[in-house]
Amino acid sequence: MEATMSKADARRLKKLKLKAAKRDQYKRFTRTKSGNFFYTFFLILFGMFSVLPMYYCIITSFKPLDELLVFPPRFYVISPTVESYLTLPSLLDNLAVPLSRYAFNSIFVSVVATFLHVMVGSAAAYVLAKTNIPGKKIIFTIVQMSLLYNSYTLEIPRYIIYANMGIFDTYWAYILPAIPSSMGVFLMKQFMDTNIPDALIEAAKIDGAGSFRTFWSIAMPNVKPAWLTLTLFSFRDLWAAAPGSTIFSEELKTLPFAASTIAQSGIARQGCAMAVTVIMMIPPILVYLVTQSSVTQTMSSSGIK
Amino acid sequence: MKKDKNVELEANTTEERKPTLSEILKAEEAELKAQKKAEKAKRKAKYAYDINGNIIPDLDVKHVKGIESKKSWYGFYFILPWLIGLVLFFLIPLISSLTYAFSDVTPEPGYMDTTWVGLENYRYIFDSSDTYQKALLGSIGDFVLQLPIIVIISLILALILNSNFKGRTFFRGVFFVPVIVAAGVIMGLLTQSYGENGPIIQLSSTVAADAYSTVGTGGGLDVTELLTSLELPADITEQLSSLITDIFNTIWSCGIPVVLFIAGLQTIPAQLYEASKVEGATTWEEFWYITLPSIGQTLLLVIIFTLIELLTKSDNEVINLAYAQITNVEYGLSSAMLWLFFAIIGVITGLIILIFSKTCLKRWE
Repeated sequence: MEATMSKADARRLKKLKLKAAKRDQYKRFTRTKSGNFFYTFFLILFGMFSVLPMYYCIITSFKPLDELLVFPPRFYVISPTVESYLTLPSLLDNLAVPLSRYAFNSIFVSVVATFLHVMVGSAAAYVLAKTNIPGKKIIFTIVQMSLLYNSYTLEIPRYIIYANMGIFDTYWAYILPAIPSSMGVFLMKQFMDTNIPDALIEAAKIDGAGSFRTFWSIAMPNVKPAWLTLTLFSFRDLWAAAPGSTIFSEELKTLPFAASTIAQSGIARQGCAMAVTVIMMIPPILVYLVTQSSVTQTMSSSGIK
Repeated sequence: MKKDKNVELEANTTEERKPTLSEILKAEEAELKAQKKAEKAKRKAKYAYDINGNIIPDLDVKHVKGIESKKSWYGFYFILPWLIGLVLFFLIPLISSLTYAFSDVTPEPGYMDTTWVGLENYRYIFDSSDTYQKALLGSIGDFVLQLPIIVIISLILALILNSNFKGRTFFRGVFFVPVIVAAGVIMGLLTQSYGENGPIIQLSSTVAADAYSTVGTGGGLDVTELLTSLELPADITEQLSSLITDIFNTIWSCGIPVVLFIAGLQTIPAQLYEASKVEGATTWEEFWYITLPSIGQTLLLVIIFTLIELLTKSDNEVINLAYAQITNVEYGLSSAMLWLFFAIIGVITGLIILIFSKTCLKRWE
């Protein structure tokens, strides 16, 4: 029977089989029509809640002034303009520091701090996961404990430490505190435990690789999803962090500060405020697009111990 | 009388029953000690031994030991930068804030002057007014309500997003994007949470704090404004707007739990479902007997993650109360409030882990 089948027929049969298989899988969670409807409804409803603020923000940023002031607020725009974006730079003229400086500060601080955080965290995690350094169990317990502690409790003593270190009003005030966050160490350690076989490291050592070489060109490529995820989360937090009381000079402040300053300037500037918000949303989303495929993978390894 | 009995007992045990046993034990102990001593001496001595314990004469012991010690030293260099950070920015602040909680603190340039007052801070908090208790109960009540809702909604979302349908990637993106963009100031600008839910003082300079508290006019999505335009009665508008705000907050807290659940669901082997299909299990049974037990660990992780996220939000009542004390330069009181709060969180977390692993995880194993 199969021998007599033409090539085209065989291909068609294969396609049909694939389709059937797909349908079966699809059926697993949505068997009945009502169930199907329920799932779709649930997804769309919650999906709407999830994206509505962002959608509204983007729409508002393209509204001309007369549409901005319409009450009730509209969820659509009739004659879109990019005016809000164009007036952004001139809006901050009275602030002595150009918008580009804020943007530069934000990018510089986020990129440098993220890079250092990922490097330092990975190196520490590598030691905790793959060597027999004395006291590593205690250190890891401290890491887990510190995950539970939000920074609120530690704010005041930290402030004093910054003061004594003399890092007030420098870029270090952004960067240094961000480096030793324990989230990175925790994530990387959990991932390295399962994804780097000891044999691999032994092999590298036998082949004459030094400790750094083993870490850099053997261990790190193997846990790429983990440090990509870490990069995403770290970048997200640093990008949106407002300068605390540790920064006084205007030329060292970051984009979130500029954004809130613009938002402060009244109802007529709503468009501009939303425009700057849209601009601020772009970099994290870009980082997400780059790292996207890795996120789920990392979560599955670090979640199940 | 009593004394006599004791003496008698002692005599009994020492003379009749135990003497031989204790002697043996003592002898064994001594032997063990001697062995350990010998081993220690062996380790300390700069000789190498073969399997039979004889000294190998011409071996450079220093070199043999060197590799091991070198290895751990390299490890030390690797972990050092992070360790310094941990001590500087976590351990030292942790210990000093703990001391503040039991002290009377007066700020001096460059350091804090502390005098030990024991539990005085706590006595003050509870005696002066009941705002703290109210805030504490309020935030715990909120979390008891919200936690199950968030966990259940994200589990349902994850189940749907993990099945095969068209546009799955798109919808995954939809639910994950809030996680990516909603941090810090952006979140506030988007949902106008700044300025309306009370002061959010992130120890920022007064200018910045002012800026945040007036972002309310910034043009983000304002639910109340939208609802007012519908011209419903004021009561209903108020109720609806708080309800919708709650839904928003819930959905926006679901991002990471959904990802965690999807990750957990993907580790379940497909054979289990195939087998259950052959056996004729319904979808409900499949969920109850395969899916849920398989993601027990993930479930616990999600519960703890959500718990911590919920209780340490910046609009938490207790945290705001403690921050109000900071502006009054009452650092001791503020630390005491926060430490008590975090101790309670710790106890709740511990209890949940204990109960969950004793009941659910044990049964699902």
